[in-house]
Amino acid sequence: MKMGGLLIRVWVAACLIFLAAPIVVVIFSSFSASGYLRFPPQELSLRWYAEFLSSEAWLKPLAVSFVLALCVAVITTAVSGLAAVAISRRRFLGRGAFGFVVMAPLLFPHAAIGVALLGALAIPGWVGTLQGIFLAHAILCLPFAYRPLINALRGFDPSMEEAAMSLGASPSFVVRHVTLPILKPAIVTSLIFTFIISFDEVTVTVFLIGPKAGTLPTQIFTTIQESASPVIAAVSSFLVMLTVGVVFLLDRLVGLQFFSELERSR
Amino acid sequence: MLKPRRHWLYLAPAALIMAVFGVGLVQVVLYSFRSDGGLFGNFADILARPDYVDLFVRTIRIAALTTGFCILIGYPVAYVIARAQRARNLLLILVMLPWMVSIVVRTYGWIVILGNRGTLNTLLMSTGLTSSPIRMLFNEIGVVIGLVHVFSPFMVISILSTFLMVDEVFEEASMSLGAGPLETFWRVILPLTAPGLIAGCAIVFLLSSGAVVTPHLLGGPRTTMVATQIYQDVFQSFNFPKASAMALFLLLLVMVVLWPLGRLERHLGRHLRQADAQQ
Amino acid sequence: MSHDLGSGVQGTVLKATGVSKRFGNALAVQPLDLEVQRGEFLTLLGPSGCGKTTLLRMIAGFETASEGTISIEGRDLTHTPPYRRGLGMVFQSLALFPHLSVSENVAFGLKVRRQDMATIRREVADALELVGLPHVAERAVHQLSGGQRQRIALARAIVTKPPILLLDEPLSALDLKLRRQMQTELKHLQRRLGTTFIFVTHDQEEAITMSDRIAVMRQGRIEQIAAPDVIYRQPATAFVAAFVGENNIFDAEVETVAGAHRVRVPALDHAFPTPAVTQAGPLSVAIRPEDISLQLGRPSGEALAGRIRERTFLGSNVRYVVEVASAQVHVDALAASGAGAIEVGEAVTLTIPISRMNVLTRQSDLQ
Repeated sequence: MKMGGLLIRVWVAACLIFLAAPIVVVIFSSFSASGYLRFPPQELSLRWYAEFLSSEAWLKPLAVSFVLALCVAVITTAVSGLAAVAISRRRFLGRGAFGFVVMAPLLFPHAAIGVALLGALAIPGWVGTLQGIFLAHAILCLPFAYRPLINALRGFDPSMEEAAMSLGASPSFVVRHVTLPILKPAIVTSLIFTFIISFDEVTVTVFLIGPKAGTLPTQIFTTIQESASPVIAAVSSFLVMLTVGVVFLLDRLVGLQFFSELERSR
Repeated sequence: MLKPRRHWLYLAPAALIMAVFGVGLVQVVLYSFRSDGGLFGNFADILARPDYVDLFVRTIRIAALTTGFCILIGYPVAYVIARAQRARNLLLILVMLPWMVSIVVRTYGWIVILGNRGTLNTLLMSTGLTSSPIRMLFNEIGVVIGLVHVFSPFMVISILSTFLMVDEVFEEASMSLGAGPLETFWRVILPLTAPGLIAGCAIVFLLSSGAVVTPHLLGGPRTTMVATQIYQDVFQSFNFPKASAMALFLLLLVMVVLWPLGRLERHLGRHLRQADAQQ
Repeated sequence: MSHDLGSGVQGTVLKATGVSKRFGNALAVQPLDLEVQRGEFLTLLGPSGCGKTTLLRMIAGFETASEGTISIEGRDLTHTPPYRRGLGMVFQSLALFPHLSVSENVAFGLKVRRQDMATIRREVADALELVGLPHVAERAVHQLSGGQRQRIALARAIVTKPPILLLDEPLSALDLKLRRQMQTELKHLQRRLGTTFIFVTHDQEEAITMSDRIAVMRQGRIEQIAAPDVIYRQPATAFVAAFVGENNIFDAEVETVAGAHRVRVPALDHAFPTPAVTQAGPLSVAIRPEDISLQLGRPSGEALAGRIRERTFLGSNVRYVVEVASAQVHVDALAASGAGAIEVGEAVTLTIPISRMNVLTRQSDLQ
């Protein structure tokens, strides 16, 4: 369709510039030499990166976020994988309801989820603890892990496993050498998406942080409210680099089609 | 096909995790009834305050504006990506990268751009378009810009997924029947992709009405939304029961908007599902 | 090889006794017996839902028989899991593993059997040679054409030299021409290997061209099991007559006039003298279109009179639809013959040889 093709292209280009703008600005201002935020920077330096990488106040949340995201990714992928296997391969009462419950966090505004989890985690006294934040992130990530996995399992040709068995492979061999390798793209998608969601999460996490456990994004959030130091730009740029790396990894490992995969089962 | 023998064992971990969320929702309901002014004291307090009427109106206005601007960005971008041949992956990456960068980082970027001494005002003043800086931060303009930036990729993805199901053949068929490009868009493409558009609106409205970080940082103390008010009730006035009541109002607001959208999406989506089933 | 152990060239390789399968309340396969000979090409033929695939999957071990026993080479395997049965199977979707290369796919069964690398390499090469595709060994599965996938699935299933190869409509995804070609290749391969093939299809033409014997199934029962020409010429039931090849099938009844039996076909308003009719109850008669001959002009005496309603040129044949009394009769004639040149609307005489007419017990709901 040539619907004023040029006009659309110009508009789309403008949209893409809009999407890129704040990120580009952050990266550039992170190299500023001056003590306040300015774009474009007058003089270039790496002093804010040096400050970021030498400051306990930043390195600790970085470590917390990284370990947390790693645990969340592995555990939610495993947990939703198990649930998806049961739901796709067994018929039982409440099967549809269970699939719906796993996706439920997508239907709630984040502020409401934040308050709810604050209320729930207050019972065992887990507010401001790592296990509390872990549970919150697992709840938020579950739908994003469940979706690609259930899609892959529903599209799984059952005769793949039967073919392997007809060739003499025992069930455990089949799972290791046929089922899991065929599901690999979905598993990788799930791992990487949940990692990035957990690593980036702020909206719900700000309800749950305490003096002992803060993540990198919540640390940025609190710091922005106190000062406009360009060290925030350096930390942010670091997060951008990490994201670029992850997207690159995803593209190499499974290709970009997972992108539409995310929406397919809605 | 290998089937798990004890399927409830497979479901148990996910059920346990989701149970935490369920307990939280129950807590919210229980706490919302705790107040000095009787069982419905919190709700009565909220309804009685005229500034909270403004708060809800502002929340709806900002979420609706955000949704509208997201359509303006999302629809053309999704269309171009769906129909692009060689550039598709590049375009996808250009949309996806900003999407995957943390919300705080992006919001921080907008502070740098929109501030009185920020990039945009510096640019405007140096070109002589304005003599004094335009206020774009700590008001609704800033909040809407930030929210549109944060949530427009969701709209792109939602619309793109329906576009990928709509074969280009439909456009060609329409044009072979004598419909011009605009008529083809209006009579064929828009109706077929409407489910994705509606779904995208639902997601963006939901997320922007529940957002805390972006409105908190870009809106300042005066441009509050229901979600930021909840955050302030918890961390500044330490009034968890009131925050719970507000959260219930927020849920109600979202449900009132989302429920008809969901019905509409399912209604509009029936053609596409049938076409899909035929193939 | 010792013949008394049943491992010789002759003998029964598979024996199913009183086997049935129940899914909930539905009986997918009624209790049935089946014996398959070594080296035989047996086809399970029937419409979808007739139980042919369920029967095959019971033999493979993917479904457990609700009743009865299945033994292969004298061993009772009724409750043996599929991976200990040592059979080969080619699936409808082919089920080539997408994460493995062609040669890795073929080697799968050998690796599971813990063969050494040298043996695996040799056997895989032999199998690929056998299906005529030694050059695609290192390709990915998605790089293969439809016919190539077919052959690789076959190579993967036969590389372990199973006593029986089970094939579940493996050709259904191919276009007609490729399908014909693969039918011939499959048949040749089966002859060369001497392996027993049990082949499931709903395509009667495929069944007739490939099989040594055909078991025609309907509603979980085997209606007839016989060689293709017997199935075609002497269908045991009206269903077999209708399902295999083209047939004119009419309701009929027996009448006795002056001590002689005749089969009366009301639709044709005609009675045929016939040898003793053994079937009881309501009857049907089946006559193949190519068994009826046509002459131009009105008949004299007892012969059938008709009028041509439609004429379709089919290449070597011409298909007529002839109106006879209240019925429409399909008749095939050689295009090159005089009978092939009759125009629509002309009056004709139909001759039906009694020997070619099958009198069968009537069955309702034939398709």
